[in-house]
Amino acid sequence: MGAFLAKRLAQAVVVAFGALTLVFVIVRAVPGDPAKLIVGPDASAGQLESVRSDFGLDDPLWRQYVDHLGGIVRGDLGDSWRLGGSALTNTLERFPATLTLALAALVLTVAIGIPLGMLCARRPGKVLDLVVSTGSLAGQAIPSFWLGIVLILLFARHLDWLPATVDGSPAAVLLPALTLSLPFIGWLARLVRSSALEEGAKDYARTARAKGVPEGTIQYVHVGRNIAIPVVTVLGLLMGNFIANAVIIEVVFSWPGIGSLMVDAITNRDYAVVEAAILTITLSYIVLNLFVDVVYFVIDPRLTPEDA
Amino acid sequence: MSVARRAVRGEGRPGRRDFLAMAGLGATAVLLSGCGVGSGAPRGALRAAFGQPVTDLDPYNAATAVDEASLIVKRLVFDTLVRREGKTLVPGLAAEWRRDGDTRWVFTLRRGAVFHDGSAVTARDVVACLEHTRTVVSAQTPLWATVTGAEAPDDRTVVFTTDGPLGSLPVNLTLLFIVPARRVADPAQKRSPIGSGPFRVTGFTPSTSVELARFDDYWGGRAESPAVSMPYIAETSTAITALRNGDIDLLWPVPPDQLPEVTGVPGIAVESIPSWTYYFNWFNCSRKPFTDPDVRRALCHAVNVPQIVESLFGQGGWQMRAPLPATVAGHAAQEPWAYDPAAARRLLARAGLGRGFTTSMMWFDSTGPLARELAQAMISAWAGIGVTVRPQSIEKAMWLERLNSLDWNMNLQTNTVTTGDAAFTIGRLYDSKANRLGYRNPDLDAVLARAAATPEGPERDALYGDACATIWSDAVGLFPVTLVTGYGRARELTGFTPAANNQPDLSVVGRR
Repeated sequence: MGAFLAKRLAQAVVVAFGALTLVFVIVRAVPGDPAKLIVGPDASAGQLESVRSDFGLDDPLWRQYVDHLGGIVRGDLGDSWRLGGSALTNTLERFPATLTLALAALVLTVAIGIPLGMLCARRPGKVLDLVVSTGSLAGQAIPSFWLGIVLILLFARHLDWLPATVDGSPAAVLLPALTLSLPFIGWLARLVRSSALEEGAKDYARTARAKGVPEGTIQYVHVGRNIAIPVVTVLGLLMGNFIANAVIIEVVFSWPGIGSLMVDAITNRDYAVVEAAILTITLSYIVLNLFVDVVYFVIDPRLTPEDA
Repeated sequence: MSVARRAVRGEGRPGRRDFLAMAGLGATAVLLSGCGVGSGAPRGALRAAFGQPVTDLDPYNAATAVDEASLIVKRLVFDTLVRREGKTLVPGLAAEWRRDGDTRWVFTLRRGAVFHDGSAVTARDVVACLEHTRTVVSAQTPLWATVTGAEAPDDRTVVFTTDGPLGSLPVNLTLLFIVPARRVADPAQKRSPIGSGPFRVTGFTPSTSVELARFDDYWGGRAESPAVSMPYIAETSTAITALRNGDIDLLWPVPPDQLPEVTGVPGIAVESIPSWTYYFNWFNCSRKPFTDPDVRRALCHAVNVPQIVESLFGQGGWQMRAPLPATVAGHAAQEPWAYDPAAARRLLARAGLGRGFTTSMMWFDSTGPLARELAQAMISAWAGIGVTVRPQSIEKAMWLERLNSLDWNMNLQTNTVTTGDAAFTIGRLYDSKANRLGYRNPDLDAVLARAAATPEGPERDALYGDACATIWSDAVGLFPVTLVTGYGRARELTGFTPAANNQPDLSVVGRR
């Protein structure tokens, strides 16, 4: 297990390095001078030069890159020109809000998607199965920002059941979480359905039926345990997706997380914050995948590191 | 023994009930942690949402020197020597002021003003603030260019010296926020500033929310509300919904096309006021064919401005009759450009462009409400006289870079006359040295210099009137519409007065 984790960690470092390099290049390739945004349209050439010097923007790109990597090793991603202070600190201050949103979305997806998939598997081809299949496709085709606005208009404006934005109450998480999770609920249900149908046709399930075990017990206990591996794999990916997809949702719902921070930073060429936010999202994705790999062994001890 | 531990030891797999228990615990944890997201406003707080984010509270940050959202908060947290109420200047921290010769202004501070940390506001603090702001290059820089220094002969007297007559100094001082001398260059001012205004900062998440609490020792008396909470709600429909549902008490500006969504809604009142924000479409006067005034005038004649303003903005906009809004000091109404495509074609023919030409227009969508629609309407009108305009909707960062380097043909944007005075806009933008749109006119420069040196009064108004006429007749730009700011507010609010500069005084707003 130790060798397996070490290998995975080494891969994670390579992925993080690749992501950071990519982000470094992309944010600087996009037109727009941060110095002009910092001091505004009335700045003199001397003032612009001074600001560029303060933030190292006048250095050759390769030197900026080397300094950037050195800073990352020291845990210093530079200062945010827009927000002041460490870019990483600014980002980490906002990360719990994004994590909360992503976790809430995951709970909703699991709580609705798995039972729905099981029900579809028990009655394949029936009305519910068709509705879920069609809804799943529709859900993934709908743009999340549009869906968010529609949910706000429906549940907040017309029905007045839920707050449209952050008001300090726990209920405020529901609408953004639902917006994040809706496209994936049908997707998870279809995965559970197909896995359950496949497992339900295997010998152990047939034997259980022959022994007179109730169908519900077969589905939720015997089959349920055996579809855990693919479901856990998907849940790990989903959590990562929720963190990354929160970018737009957070803007729509004014959710004070890393996504709205990143949009603001990109718009204003706050390089340090963009890089800190991308690094945080990348690392969380890597950690989640690593966590899922470890969970495999907990769920199914028959697995060995070579299987993972 | 815990479920997880049993599973790890292989003593048993998590059963359905265990799984559900864990899921329930997880959900509870998420919901509980959700309680901590965002800052619920304290009971009785005024919840006010403005359409732009507050990114910084440092009164001397160049990037936010004239940023409306930041100014709203700064006016609640800091004091200025002089304040503007409508078109009138009234005492702020300065109880009185007088001109002492052509190059000296003497201000006397009021007694009893203290900062949020309890220390007294002194003339030394004012001097330190002026000296510091002069070192920062920002949109305010031209306002202080002729101020050579300030001194504090005693705790209550500040003497400003200028290198020539500067009639607009009291107006300019409405933008000089006073902080303790020891804090003028303190980076902590960005997040937790200390001022002497009616509110102190208790929480600030940049671009997300500002939390303010009443400062009970404020010299002007206690604010009506115990606290002010200012969330930033980027999405318009979310903000409108929050207002309708009572999640916020005040929302501004309500975009013109959204006014029907809040008009007539029980519990909500809508108030409007012509703002100091307006649209203009500049022609790059240093680039052909816009070097020829006839071409610029032709483009002005080709657009049916009243129809566009009425159709797009309705009650949310006023047709402009000068290169600055009618409510700004120094405005002088001009004869609107007649909608006359035939005259436009004649002017183009006289300029040797009878077959039209191709050019481009740049803007960024968030510059103001209905920017894209306004651009499209004008581009369509110009197509009618044979002028093909390539629309260039670009990102703000790129727009700013091109604007500064005069790398554009036509530029559509909004602008706000932050001080409510013509000096801020006309004096700053159309002087040849500023070279903001490639327009150079020595006669206009002379008029602007005289206007800047003249104190408020009829002579100064006449000079800015001349400047308005020159800019208008030279058609350096097309000035279509002054935006009318719509304020949507809970009816239970008291004391609220809409502000033309989008910076209402929230310290006098209470609740029934």
